[in-house]
Amino acid sequence: MKNKWLNFLSGSVKVKVQGRGVERFINACLRNGIFVWNVKKHGEDVATFFILLKDVSRMRVVVRKSGCKIFFIGKSGLPFLVRKTVANSGFFIGICLFLTVVFLLSNMVWNVRIQGAKPETEYRILKELKQMGVEKGAFQFLLDPPETIQKKLTDRIETITWVGVELKGTAFYFQVVEKKQPKESEAVNVRHLVAKKKAVITDMFVEEGQPLVSVHDHVTKGQILVSGIIGKEGQTKFVPARGKIFGETWYKSTVILPLDAIFYVLTGKYMEKHYIKIKSLSIPVWGFQKVPFAHYETERRKQALRFWKWELPLFYERVIYRETEEVKRSYSWNEAFQKAKEIGKEELEAKLEEDASIKGEKVLHAAKENGKVRVEIYYEVVENIAIPQPIVQGD
Amino acid sequence: MVKKWRQQVRSWLMNQLELPADIVMDLPRITMIGHIHIYIENHRGLLTFSDKELRLLLKQGQLLVRGEQFVIKTILPEEILLEGKIHQVIYLDND
Repeated sequence: MKNKWLNFLSGSVKVKVQGRGVERFINACLRNGIFVWNVKKHGEDVATFFILLKDVSRMRVVVRKSGCKIFFIGKSGLPFLVRKTVANSGFFIGICLFLTVVFLLSNMVWNVRIQGAKPETEYRILKELKQMGVEKGAFQFLLDPPETIQKKLTDRIETITWVGVELKGTAFYFQVVEKKQPKESEAVNVRHLVAKKKAVITDMFVEEGQPLVSVHDHVTKGQILVSGIIGKEGQTKFVPARGKIFGETWYKSTVILPLDAIFYVLTGKYMEKHYIKIKSLSIPVWGFQKVPFAHYETERRKQALRFWKWELPLFYERVIYRETEEVKRSYSWNEAFQKAKEIGKEELEAKLEEDASIKGEKVLHAAKENGKVRVEIYYEVVENIAIPQPIVQGD
Repeated sequence: MVKKWRQQVRSWLMNQLELPADIVMDLPRITMIGHIHIYIENHRGLLTFSDKELRLLLKQGQLLVRGEQFVIKTILPEEILLEGKIHQVIYLDND
């Protein structure tokens, strides 16, 4: 007996036979090697049975010799199923296409909104964004993450202090805080100028207010330098004191520098791999070759894919491998000492304001301890020591 | 003459060598499962079939199966599996 499942695969036909000698007809079929099953008799000279689809043409020959008529009254099995599916494939393709379109549209940028920026700044931001690819119709998974966009924007446009980047669904929202223009700082409250640290006054430029100290005076932290109260006794007036008071101040810094150091420098070569991630399973999409670098840094950028308004448990991941090079640096004691001094100066300059200058430096102590150089340096700095202090007016 | 002699030889062989009868003598082997299935091997073709009766040609004579709701589940040149409610299995000799 043959397997029913194989019959399903090759397809079968239900046949109705009418005429005298149905039994003879079945015998003839068997002799011709036609496999017959589920034979049922309906009355005197009508029978139904199943045959394989591939035997249909052979049975036609048998029918011609016998005096029976056959009718095909049913069909089942895979070939018919396939034919039906092909006929209905339009629907299926349509559904797939629809889902793909919705999926793609859900992952696009549809709105770029900038708030809190003046028209010219807004225009510049839009231009920068366009350069980065952030515009209507861009695919989100090809863009940089919001944090990177934020950093690039603040770096490239100097008129903005801060920009908040938020990706809400398919819309980018930018909240811009522009730098205050100097003109606007007119309406200041009445105030004194006080010393921000211990210093010896070297120079004074008072624009408004009553100076209480003079050059070469030694001042302590918090001491009033320029008073906001002017006028003779009895006719005093409160003004916002303004001006710059330069004083000599002192800083001490300690620099520790190892004589031998190994660090990794990027060579500029890189390669990218792209993955689609489902939970912990990641399917490579692009970039199948091995990373050709001996030393490299990896950067992973994950972007959630969304469908309609839902986030799918699906991620688009871009992995960037950047080649690094090992660089060995070794200083002699003298070099290290010089370098430490430079570093100390740079560090201090970074801390100081622009109008400050380093007048002198003095090495207090320099020592070599287990492979490192330790240098203590004392700096003389001339800087603006005035900071405003509001006057609290009593009744 | 020769046919009869051959029959006798076969019968003798079967008895002496203990060979199965259906192979040596071309007899049908009938397997029944309760009264719902009947499986007949070594038939020589279908003579009549209805939902109450099945008549098969054998090498010698005929086999008549009576019952109700007969369906031939499978039929091959020498085998047949009949399903239904079987009441009787009758041998008809026609020589």
